[in-house]
Amino acid sequence: MVMSDQTSDLVQGTLDMLILKTLALEPMHGYGVAARIEQMSDGIFRVNAGSLFVAFERLLRAGTIKGEWKTTENSRRARYYSLTERGRKRLDSETQEWARQVAAIARILERS
Amino acid sequence: MSLVQNIASGLRTLFRKQQVDRELDEELSGFLEMAADEKQKHGMSQQEALRAVRLERGSIDVTKEIVRAARWESFLETCWQDVRFGVRMLRKSPGFTAVVVLTLALGIGANTAIFSLLNAVMLQSIPVSHPEQLVVLRWSAHGRPHSVGHSSFGDCERTDWSASFASSCSFSYPMLREIREKTHVFSGLAAFAGPAELEMSSNGSASMVRGEIVSGDFFETLRIGAAAGRTLNLSDERPGAEAVAVLSYSYWQTEFGGNAAAIGKTIKLNSVPFTIVGVADPRFTRLVPGKSQDMWVPLSQMTALRISWANGDLTKHDSWWLTVVGRVASSVSLAQAQTGASLVFRSEVVNESHLKMADEPQVTLLPAQKGLSGDRSWAEQPLFLLVGAVAILLLISCANVAGLLLSRAETRRKEIAMRVALGAGRGRVARQLLTESMLLSVAGAAAGILLSYWGATTLDSFVVANRGSRMYLNMTPDLTVLLFTIALTVLTGILFGLAPTIIGTRANLAPVLKESSTGITGAIASGKRWIGPGGALVVVQVALSIVVLAGAGLVVRSLVNLKSVNAGFDTNNLLQFGVDPTLTGSYKDAEIQILYGELQRRLSYLPGVVDVSYSSDTLLSGSRWTTGVNIEGRADKSMVEVQMMAVGTNFFNTMRIPVVSGRALEPADMESPHEVAVVNRSFVKKFMENREPRGLHFGSEDSKGKQYEIVGVVGDTKYDDLRKEPEPTAFIPLKKSGARFAIRTVSNPAALLPAARRALGELDNNLPMFDVMTQNERIERRLFTERLIAYLASLFGLVALILACIGLYGLLSYEVARRTKEIGVRTVLGAQKRDVLRLIAAQGLSLVCIGVFIGFIVSAGLTRFLGSLLYGVQPTDASTFFEVALLLLIVSVAACLAPAWRATRVDPMVALRYE
Repeated sequence: MVMSDQTSDLVQGTLDMLILKTLALEPMHGYGVAARIEQMSDGIFRVNAGSLFVAFERLLRAGTIKGEWKTTENSRRARYYSLTERGRKRLDSETQEWARQVAAIARILERS
Repeated sequence: MSLVQNIASGLRTLFRKQQVDRELDEELSGFLEMAADEKQKHGMSQQEALRAVRLERGSIDVTKEIVRAARWESFLETCWQDVRFGVRMLRKSPGFTAVVVLTLALGIGANTAIFSLLNAVMLQSIPVSHPEQLVVLRWSAHGRPHSVGHSSFGDCERTDWSASFASSCSFSYPMLREIREKTHVFSGLAAFAGPAELEMSSNGSASMVRGEIVSGDFFETLRIGAAAGRTLNLSDERPGAEAVAVLSYSYWQTEFGGNAAAIGKTIKLNSVPFTIVGVADPRFTRLVPGKSQDMWVPLSQMTALRISWANGDLTKHDSWWLTVVGRVASSVSLAQAQTGASLVFRSEVVNESHLKMADEPQVTLLPAQKGLSGDRSWAEQPLFLLVGAVAILLLISCANVAGLLLSRAETRRKEIAMRVALGAGRGRVARQLLTESMLLSVAGAAAGILLSYWGATTLDSFVVANRGSRMYLNMTPDLTVLLFTIALTVLTGILFGLAPTIIGTRANLAPVLKESSTGITGAIASGKRWIGPGGALVVVQVALSIVVLAGAGLVVRSLVNLKSVNAGFDTNNLLQFGVDPTLTGSYKDAEIQILYGELQRRLSYLPGVVDVSYSSDTLLSGSRWTTGVNIEGRADKSMVEVQMMAVGTNFFNTMRIPVVSGRALEPADMESPHEVAVVNRSFVKKFMENREPRGLHFGSEDSKGKQYEIVGVVGDTKYDDLRKEPEPTAFIPLKKSGARFAIRTVSNPAALLPAARRALGELDNNLPMFDVMTQNERIERRLFTERLIAYLASLFGLVALILACIGLYGLLSYEVARRTKEIGVRTVLGAQKRDVLRLIAAQGLSLVCIGVFIGFIVSAGLTRFLGSLLYGVQPTDASTFFEVALLLLIVSVAACLAPAWRATRVDPMVALRYE
């Protein structure tokens, strides 16, 4: 959802990778993940709740992340997600794949 | 792994729906509150913050829907919703639902019933363990075996016996032993022949039983255990072994009440005492499709039983009569087994000089499932015809239901448009409509299975009551039938549901919602294209009904033709039964003559009896005795084939066969060593070439063999089959074989049976009466296939006719309802009642005419498949087609008039004001 001039939609299929990357640093709850993605992208990407939780559901069922109910620092109950071994492998392979693609696209754009 | 996880997690959501929902709720609201907290830190009020978050991130309810819809199990949930909604919609129109379910029940039920029959006859595997390992041995050669007596019992497909190619499944007993001893390619062999009609007496009463003559390893090879006692083994086959018998389970149940005391009991078969040693496993109901037996006896007992096959001598190499089934050893390939069996067969037939090496005699191993055809060869054609008929019936049901659904879809257009307007996807609406179709189809199938169960039972008892010989069919629905019905149900649901769904969801929103669906201009415009999808469906139904009706008409006409055929003798008031004193062994040749004479005399004294006689075979029973003879004085010296029948005195008079010239057979001929014969007209016409037949001789090629002097000529009769033209026949005196008595009565021949039974019992209480039937019953049984097909085809034709008319009626009723306003306008503008009547009726009848025309074309292409079932009628018989069309037209006029009549009653004021 584009909310202002500065934000833009995520490239199709990259949300999963970004979530995995975020969780690779430390286990985090839903809002934490959304906030971290926004923060790290300097506010260019804004994730809405629908896409985020559908992605969580998808990753949970693929066995790449797991969820656990914990209490936050503000003493609120929240589900913390963390990466599984399978998720770590998938993040590695997706990061490499992404780098290859970006490099290829960059080469094409430079030439023309 | 992840698939398992996916399914497990999906199931968790399905079964712990509340908990999963609560967790999602908590997580989402937590998410939004945390986002709001963040905003509040930047100075917004709590309310402002919550509002901003909802705008930015989406509201909690919408998000929940999105997350839910992404799960696969939500598909199941919506399906369940569709089903519940569908059931509600169908309950709202019970009349519609009832008609549809009934229509589908007829279609699916008829198909399931006929498929059960097809399954029982064609598909079911032999009820023994590992039937796929069983093979049946079949020999073939490029030449006819010399001096071989050959007999078969309908186990295998057919016997070829020409000079260039011969092949059959019959082997001699020495050959069986050779194959058993000299090859190691089979883990077991089972040989059998029959069943033989045996005369059984126990506890003073006599009856006929059917005993299969089998080799000692029969049960072991087929792996059939005993339900009680033991089965046979190879030592029972040794010459001089004790005479034993194994009962079939059903015979044990019906005749011995399943009593274990039956084991060890002694019964007399053809006057020979046999010990019952066991009962076969109840699951073993048959080896050859349609054939069943009461008991099995070892083949070494054949001589004692005085069965004439193989001339009663097991050691003879030139009597081929046993069907052999083998189980190929596990270490051996089929090709190796074939080579092994062929080697033994070849050396044996060449040694015995039945065949030459150059004839390339060999043995082929056929899978027993295919090779043992039995009743299958008889039933194949009628069964496929019936399958065709019920398939058409199902198509008609589908077209009918599709038509009804289409009318319903029209009336539901507003509802569907409303749902699309409220945001339902087209695919979602289509899924809902298909779910409704599927619901109807399942309900129809459930009712259809009940119907088919009843149908199959009725069919089974019809077959049992009308078939010449008893046959065993297992019609209990099995997995194959179940899978067939499920596939049929799904297919049916899609077939009739698809068109209405596509048309229903194509609805253009705006005009449907804006104006009333019965707008005048719209109605008149659409009224003009009367062959819409609904009309086309009616045309299809009418055309298909014509096909079924035409087929039924042709078969019924053939049956009528066959029944009115002149058999050459009077078939009414004739009671027949068989007696065979040769089986008991207590009568010498001359005594048999005396017995027959005495029985003939006693029977003729019974009140109501006009004439009594006997013969070696009954006319029109399906069996025939032919022999090759030389006829004196013919220019062409070659042997000719004639039909033979041995008869007693007074035969021609009893049968009402006219004596044309000369004399009939007289009592003196019965005992005289001078052999005489009476021939029929065809005999004279074909072989006498204008010479006087009386005094001429005919007989075996060798002049020292029996020669018969012709003493008279009688009228032609049909011999074994009503369809065949009369052939040259010679009647000779019956001297020493079993006999079929014929009693000509004044009225109701069946009523005479008890008196006839008493008369026989007074002469000899141990002589069983068998094959008791009136001549007309016998003819009915001969026409079994024709009657079965005629009966079922007429039934299906009637159902097709009714369905087509329901379809027509439904379409026109709907048309009248839809065009009420138009009819009102026409009436206001001066249209008379008959104009309105013509408007509606003409529409219906033109559809019918188109359907009839198309039906004629399709029928003309299909009726030739009736082929050999027809008699005295062409497959494209014009008058049958015409009658069928007339019947359909008359009924469809009735179906048209009711809605048309309703149209004339339309009150223009009400019609125009109604909105």
